[in-house]
Amino acid sequence: MFSKVLVANRGEIAVRVIRALRERGIRSVAIYSDVDRPSLAVRMADEAYPLGGNASSDTYLRIDKILEIARRCGAEAIHPGYGFLSENAAFSAACAEAGIVFIGPPASAIEKLGSKTAARRLAKAAGTPVLPGTEEAIADSDQALEIARAIGFPVLLKAAAGGGGKGMRAVHQASEFMAALRDASSEAERSFKCSEVFIEKLVLQPRHIEIQLFADQHGHCVHLGERECSIQRRHQKVIEECPSPLVAQYPEMRQAMGEAAVRAAQAAGYVNAGTAEFLVDADRNFYFLEMNTRLQVEHPVTELVTGLDLVHLQLDVAAGLPLPFKQEDVHLRGWAMECRVYAEDPESFLPQPGKLTRFDMPSGPGIRVDSGVYPGWTVPLEYDPLLAKLCTYGATREATVARLRRALSEAYVGGIQANLPLFRAILEDPRFAAGDLHTGFLDGFKLPAANVPAEVAAAAKAIPSAPVIAPPDGRASSAWKLENRRSLYR
Amino acid sequence: MKPVLLSPPKPEAIEVEPGVWSVLVDGASFELRVNGEQFDARGLAFVVETEETAQARQRASRGPAKIATTMPGKVIRLLVADGDTVTAGQGIVVVEAMKMQNEIKSPKDGVVKGLKAQPGSTVTAGQTLALIE
Repeated sequence: MFSKVLVANRGEIAVRVIRALRERGIRSVAIYSDVDRPSLAVRMADEAYPLGGNASSDTYLRIDKILEIARRCGAEAIHPGYGFLSENAAFSAACAEAGIVFIGPPASAIEKLGSKTAARRLAKAAGTPVLPGTEEAIADSDQALEIARAIGFPVLLKAAAGGGGKGMRAVHQASEFMAALRDASSEAERSFKCSEVFIEKLVLQPRHIEIQLFADQHGHCVHLGERECSIQRRHQKVIEECPSPLVAQYPEMRQAMGEAAVRAAQAAGYVNAGTAEFLVDADRNFYFLEMNTRLQVEHPVTELVTGLDLVHLQLDVAAGLPLPFKQEDVHLRGWAMECRVYAEDPESFLPQPGKLTRFDMPSGPGIRVDSGVYPGWTVPLEYDPLLAKLCTYGATREATVARLRRALSEAYVGGIQANLPLFRAILEDPRFAAGDLHTGFLDGFKLPAANVPAEVAAAAKAIPSAPVIAPPDGRASSAWKLENRRSLYR
Repeated sequence: MKPVLLSPPKPEAIEVEPGVWSVLVDGASFELRVNGEQFDARGLAFVVETEETAQARQRASRGPAKIATTMPGKVIRLLVADGDTVTAGQGIVVVEAMKMQNEIKSPKDGVVKGLKAQPGSTVTAGQTLALIE
């Protein structure tokens, strides 16, 4: 096993990996941008070295700087976390060349699965079902329209190098096609410096269900069940759960999707943790979308339900050890949910960087919080505004939802806005309670407004520091003017 | 023998942590977090009004209020029509800026006047799109 590992990331995932390293008696090395000097990851790591600068392109994306630090501090391996360089084949290759173990798949597997079109071809060849669509990037726009007609509208245009919804356009009829194709290509060019776009059948109100995979260097590949991530905003996940309410009802889907995912991974020569993403339609047909060649943000829900520690397993596999279990040893037990607590407006989803004055997270039975912040920390505007992942675990979905509701009643973020009110509102939605989920769940979703309950107003009046309102007509008035004020449900 | 009091005779508030108050009212327990003009209780956020902010709000509610953009962008859709009666907080128009869609809301109850923007038209920062009278 390694004696020193560099964590090439920041925020909650850097903290998550540092914790695993400490549990294994491995020295942890953090790297940081200027604004991240006071970060929790730097505070918790055994060693920390500056990258210099703040922009991602000057810091967490700089392969040269990171490898130089790794060499000079004597790190034997690098954990890339998620985002940044985690799915960068050149980084995996550069690590191998420098004699440093990349804790993730080899460059060849990332390349095979990195482009969505390449991954599609590979999956199709391995017998994994894919959505009807093009395998080649679109060359000619008239030909593209013919293909779209053959697939049947609605169709989806997607950037080959895409992610996060950029370069993506839904086209509902032939007359909108050409304009949408131009928009998608130019957005793809701007975002990824690659204008390649492909066409896919658009599944209306699909569910997003993904399979967690693990492969070792000895040819073993297993799946660790599914996660449902259908609650999304701007094509990014907000709440994830394991198992999926749909798959729990039709357990034969788990085996079919799991085996399909394993076939695709083995065809790519995959090693370490990975996730196969599937779209599921109303008739429970599943279609392979893409492979994420890294640890996922939402891995804790799988850990809670399988009892495994995926970061420990990543270390074992990277060190050349065989997976310590077989497919038949993997059992899902209970139910887990994760809320991604972001520093953002709960309704407009706009990021809200700034200083945290309070950060109260729940505790007690069945709660797991993976946080990268603390009260007094300033959330920088340079990076993803994820503050923490709040997970709950229970015997059944109902128990887990009730526990999450309780957990959210204990949570409070002060100083900046966080999206906690959004979770509270989602949990009150009868569609969520029924497990009736799809990726458009949050489209047009409104936070309910509520009047201040009289008993709360009475309690507020008892606080001596409340500002006194001197009423214009000189009559005595309550200290707090609360009645009849509409407020956001939080 | 003196009777046992189940709760203090009047509401009792103690500051248990900076900005965090524990309040007992007839035995009912509340935890309130105060942060400037905003406070939170039982998962609800409220805004406290001082005399100054109340007066500013009244002044604003008398004259016409502007529906204006803060960033240059593009009108995506209109949520109301010219002449519609709207309530405070109701969405008027959706504008896209920096790849993000923003709903511009009415600051007061009133009637929409002078809404001429069309979906797809570009807007400059600070441009007035309508008045609420």
